[in-house]
Amino acid sequence: MTILTFTLIMLLAAYGAGLLGSLTGLGGGVVVIPVLTLCFGVDFHYAVGAALVASIATSSGSGSAYVKEGITNIRLGMFLEIATTLGAVAGALVAVWLNNNVIAVIYGLVLILTGTMQFVKKQDHTGIKGSEAARRLKLFGTWPQKDGSEKAYELKNVGRGFSVMGIAGMLSGILGIGSGVLKVIAMDNMMKVPFKVSTTTSNFMMGVTACASAVVYIQRGNIVPGIACPVLIGVLFGALTGARLLKRLDVRMLRKVFAIAVFMVAANMIYMGLTGKF
Amino acid sequence: MAKKVSDLQLLIAHTLRLGVGLAAFIAAVGGIVYLIQHGADAMPDYTRFSYTDPEFHPADYTTLDGILSGIGEMNSRSWIQTGVIVLILTPVMRVVLSLFDFLRERDWLYAVITSVVLAVIIANSLEFHL
Repeated sequence: MTILTFTLIMLLAAYGAGLLGSLTGLGGGVVVIPVLTLCFGVDFHYAVGAALVASIATSSGSGSAYVKEGITNIRLGMFLEIATTLGAVAGALVAVWLNNNVIAVIYGLVLILTGTMQFVKKQDHTGIKGSEAARRLKLFGTWPQKDGSEKAYELKNVGRGFSVMGIAGMLSGILGIGSGVLKVIAMDNMMKVPFKVSTTTSNFMMGVTACASAVVYIQRGNIVPGIACPVLIGVLFGALTGARLLKRLDVRMLRKVFAIAVFMVAANMIYMGLTGKF
Repeated sequence: MAKKVSDLQLLIAHTLRLGVGLAAFIAAVGGIVYLIQHGADAMPDYTRFSYTDPEFHPADYTTLDGILSGIGEMNSRSWIQTGVIVLILTPVMRVVLSLFDFLRERDWLYAVITSVVLAVIIANSLEFHL
């Protein structure tokens, strides 16, 4: 295969990754890793570097659309980022010691959790009584409704959410993906953040978390230009399209279809990891 | 809570847009040069990676000095990596601008929290420069 062919295929795949990553809130890295490792046999340590680039591109690409609408809870994101950035630093340190097969199994397990969570019913958490800690940290907010009014929300279980985000950050440092699934568990299920708010806030955090380990990845040579270039450009444009579509699209069906694909990739990853195929 | 979108939030959105636009542009310039020079070559061997073998860590895309000197020489790999660096800087800029926003609102708690996040990112980036 020539470099031109590889670059064009990756450009298309990355566009799809950015689109799906932005629509599902999972980040572009989730798709980039299996495309590189399963389709092209790329070493996981390169794939993880590409996923990191994809995560930042999804985050920033769709980010500009969200902030304008005032949905993102910047305080909540910033507070949880203490946990995610510290986790990412730890994860990047650990990653050196993990071989391809171990990374594949970890990634497969994260995927299974990701797929499962797509089927858990999303509640809009109305009338949640917030906790004192959340009040002191000024984490309550409002989010715009379709009719233009603002709806107030409160949240709770700050400590538990913070701990889970530490693990999310660590996985981000190891896998380069935003590990959006743990953010869903932490913010939606534990802290009771409204779904749209948690999606955009998680998207904001994904970019910052990835930055915490990005320079390390560059210096180690994990981010290689021949892969990073199509991934960066493709994911960016995919994420921009996704952010535009998200405003008027009901993505529930898409999430379920995506979840099934995720299970199949996960099974493949875990099987190949356990049998030492990577 | 800020109900209205403040000027600074708009500035953040514009910064993000400018950052990703610039990153994509620089990476595209590098990518086009790369394809013109090497497009017909066989795909490099990405199936193996090593942390210890120096062959896997060419200076033109893994060190700041190498990347900077590669830009002047129109080294395509250095250009692409500069695009990646600009991309990395966009969320960092967002955190910096948020810090200003919190300071302006005299929200000292969040000014401190934001500074901690920035410190972690910067410390982790510098540590490996040594």
